Amino acid sequence: MADAAAAGARNAERPFNPWPAAVFVCLAVLAVLFLAPTLGVLLSSLKSTREIALGELWALPGGVYLDNFREVLDHPSVRTYFINTFLVTVPATVGSIGLGVLAGYVFSKLPFRGSELLFLVVVSGMFFPPQILLIPLFRIFNGLGLLDTLWPMIIVHVAMGIPICTLLMRNFFATVPNALREAAIVEGANEWQVLTRVALPISLPALAVLATLQFTWIWNDFLWPLIFTQSDDKRTIMLGIVSLKGQYSVAWGVQGALSLVASLPTLIVFLFFQRFFIKGMTMGALKG
Amino acid sequence: MKRQALFWRVALLALPLSVFGCFVVWPLLDSFYYSFTDWNGFDPRYRFVGADNFVKVATDRLFTNATLNTVIWMVLALLLPTLGGLGLALLLDSQVRGANVFKSVFYLPICLSAVVVGQIWVWIYQPDWGLLNTVIGTVTGEPATFAWLARPQSALYSVIVAWSWQQMGLSMVIFLAGLTAIPSDLLEAAAIEGATRWQRTRYVVLPLLRPATVVVVALSVINSLKGFDILYIMTGGGPFHSSDTLAMHMYNESFKKYKMGYGSAISVILFLLTLIIVFIYFRQLRKLDELHG
Repeated sequence: MADAAAAGARNAERPFNPWPAAVFVCLAVLAVLFLAPTLGVLLSSLKSTREIALGELWALPGGVYLDNFREVLDHPSVRTYFINTFLVTVPATVGSIGLGVLAGYVFSKLPFRGSELLFLVVVSGMFFPPQILLIPLFRIFNGLGLLDTLWPMIIVHVAMGIPICTLLMRNFFATVPNALREAAIVEGANEWQVLTRVALPISLPALAVLATLQFTWIWNDFLWPLIFTQSDDKRTIMLGIVSLKGQYSVAWGVQGALSLVASLPTLIVFLFFQRFFIKGMTMGALKG
Repeated sequence: MKRQALFWRVALLALPLSVFGCFVVWPLLDSFYYSFTDWNGFDPRYRFVGADNFVKVATDRLFTNATLNTVIWMVLALLLPTLGGLGLALLLDSQVRGANVFKSVFYLPICLSAVVVGQIWVWIYQPDWGLLNTVIGTVTGEPATFAWLARPQSALYSVIVAWSWQQMGLSMVIFLAGLTAIPSDLLEAAAIEGATRWQRTRYVVLPLLRPATVVVVALSVINSLKGFDILYIMTGGGPFHSSDTLAMHMYNESFKKYKMGYGSAISVILFLLTLIIVFIYFRQLRKLDELHG
């Protein structure tokens, strides 16, 4: 607004303002630079291995060649990886958000002595690198006999998601007027009913933000499956990509197709929830 | 009434706090315990070795090397995405045509996983047919064959560039949110007073972006400490440990050499390092709050 107004004011004085055009060109060049890496993978996935070997990986493909995608989608392991990743991502996303809702509600609507400190302790979990917990968690799940199953990944993602979910839900619930809760209580509702019938229905934007954030993080995770799984049929897709690298060491096109297929769920989520996603990244942070 | 409130607090907090306690807080304390043992990861018998692991850390040249790399990683992984994101946000804020398309383009890499980003950039840095060498070759007219990821002097920095490419969109988005919060009459007033575009940016916009900067810095530091996956994919800490970070070194000692006691000691040090950074950050934040009332 300000810039538009200022530009308008200056346009009156000067006949030509080169500024918007310069900014546009600058951004366009940067956008091309930014897109080049991703586009390269897309292009290579549409070429046959021979075509890649003959020419350059980065040139435009001669035609649309879909065998790489067929190879990836027909691969039995890839299917297993996908199913495993869904089996981890969906329950872990739901679980972490559910627990964040519970804790966030108490911290914002039922504060008590020391609750601020407790909240800080929980949220500080967000700051620490997960690698610190590798060894003890490995030991715990080894003791529970759960290594090489999907359970450790689900549990760890729920636990590690609690800080961010609690933070965002507390901040969102804080914007829900206390009068709403009090009115419901006066009419005989208990806290659980207030939470599920009053607070949650108006929290859909915050829930959408968290769902997209958590889905993306958990889907993309590589560290935990690396530690907790050994057999091929327990791997998630990101670990799967790395382990299939040997099999397709020179089939660059297949590798590219594999990366694209593996990124598809998060890209779809991103396209659908773009606005939510970006808001979510800033919401918890700027208000925190 | 009071008893009821107590009941609900306990009932609602029980599950989240017990999960958090069992799988985050307890393991953290466990790390401290095992850092004083010689546990190998499988054998139930282990000995207490006192401070041996920490003494060993002090003389471990690979540890010193990893610490230095962690510092380099943190500083650059903070500066590059933050400055880049700020630049992009300032460019995008000037109501340029197609701003939304540009925003999506710059933000897209955040949705990709470290594995995919790592693979993309391994291709870019590939010595024979990688994009970077192809471009250099085309520009200079001489075929370039520099192995970016296989040379000790460039491996770490090459990964940092890939990392910055991925993270820049995040800082950009937060700076953009901060920019929209700046009241437009302030800028109009400055423009009427005759401030140039540069002066308006320097003396009006940037000072008002401080809250957003605090957030960006915090997120960058947190994220950069977590930057393990992309290093694992792109270099695995090599060549010759030239891109080893503390997290990487800890992983290698614990899960490759099965020295879990020693690995725990490195974890504890990494934890204390993070604690110091978080502490400094919160103190700065409080100072800023006091400043702005």
